[in-house]
Amino acid sequence: MRKSILAGVGLLALSVLPAAQAAAQTGTAWLHVRVEEAKDASKVAVNLPMAVVEAVLKASPEMIEKHGKIHLGDEHGMKMADLRKAWKALAEVGDAELVSVESEDENVKVMRKGDLVQVFVDKKGKPGKDGKASKGEEVRVEVPVSLVDAFLSGEGEEGNIQAAVAELQKRRGDIVRVRDDDSNVRVWIDEQNTQSPAGK
Amino acid sequence: MTKLAVILGVPIALLATIASLGVVVVDVREGGPDGHRIVVPVPLVFAQAALALAPVVAPADKLRIPDNEALQHIGVARDVLEALAAGPDGELVRVEERDEQVVITKEGRSLRVRVSGKKENVTVNVPLSLALQALPGEDGRIRTAALAGALAGLRFTDLVDVRDGDDHVRVYVW
Repeated sequence: MRKSILAGVGLLALSVLPAAQAAAQTGTAWLHVRVEEAKDASKVAVNLPMAVVEAVLKASPEMIEKHGKIHLGDEHGMKMADLRKAWKALAEVGDAELVSVESEDENVKVMRKGDLVQVFVDKKGKPGKDGKASKGEEVRVEVPVSLVDAFLSGEGEEGNIQAAVAELQKRRGDIVRVRDDDSNVRVWIDEQNTQSPAGK
Repeated sequence: MTKLAVILGVPIALLATIASLGVVVVDVREGGPDGHRIVVPVPLVFAQAALALAPVVAPADKLRIPDNEALQHIGVARDVLEALAAGPDGELVRVEERDEQVVITKEGRSLRVRVSGKKENVTVNVPLSLALQALPGEDGRIRTAALAGALAGLRFTDLVDVRDGDDHVRVYVW
């Protein structure tokens, strides 16, 4: 009897889980930026609801039109049509290391892994005057594939900012992390309206 | 006796009417044993009347912001303020340095800015409705009548609180 009850409760929990996950995703998304500088002992934390981010993104009148679309065009080096073609070709390749540059000073890797495009930049530390090598710099950027898809969903020479922001609303987790000797920068999205110590 | 009641009653009723419409109070307390306390109450209705009359007495160009880059961003500023007003409460900005901390939070329909230093603490409440009405229109004109209307919604709001050592300054709407 007890086994039946436990099995029933288990099945009920499993059936509720997807609904609970969906409910968690419908909360208000917040974009967080955290900058810590050890030298100045300063910490800056910015938390913005995504609706505000969308409003702020309209703040570049030269680049963004009234309808929230970015023009690339010739003056920005690459035509949007070419960008779309390249992205479509990359999408067909699937998971792959797209770019790998290794030099004395830094290593750069751009990969597509699952739903993410990952950019890793590792700058090697240089020896200082005291002979000790600095830590160097580490940059981690994760861009969801769906975000790029949304951005490229505009027509002609336009990137669709509104669709990109709508996609960002669904994203949860780290977007950018930069670490170097002195500073630490993190940009992420979650549903908390503050930066809890656990979120550091 | 009736005459005395009328003589006293009229100004009291007038004062009560003005007070019921709201009063901006500037309260300054100096620290130390000889510190003074200055309280300046300004009826809200006076400020509203002054704002309403401003377009009549002030030249039009004085009530218009120059047609420059700032004017192009008014629409964005309005969108941001409206998004903030409609959005959830939370801590928007926190800056921590060795000697100073700045925190900006959105609480209800207000933005609260708190600056805490070693010696001084400043709190400023910016009602979003007031900030929205203070923004000029697309033509650059400051809408004084709308601003006067927004002042009416400020009743029972602490606007500014500054503590510097033993000195304390408060501006609130009663």
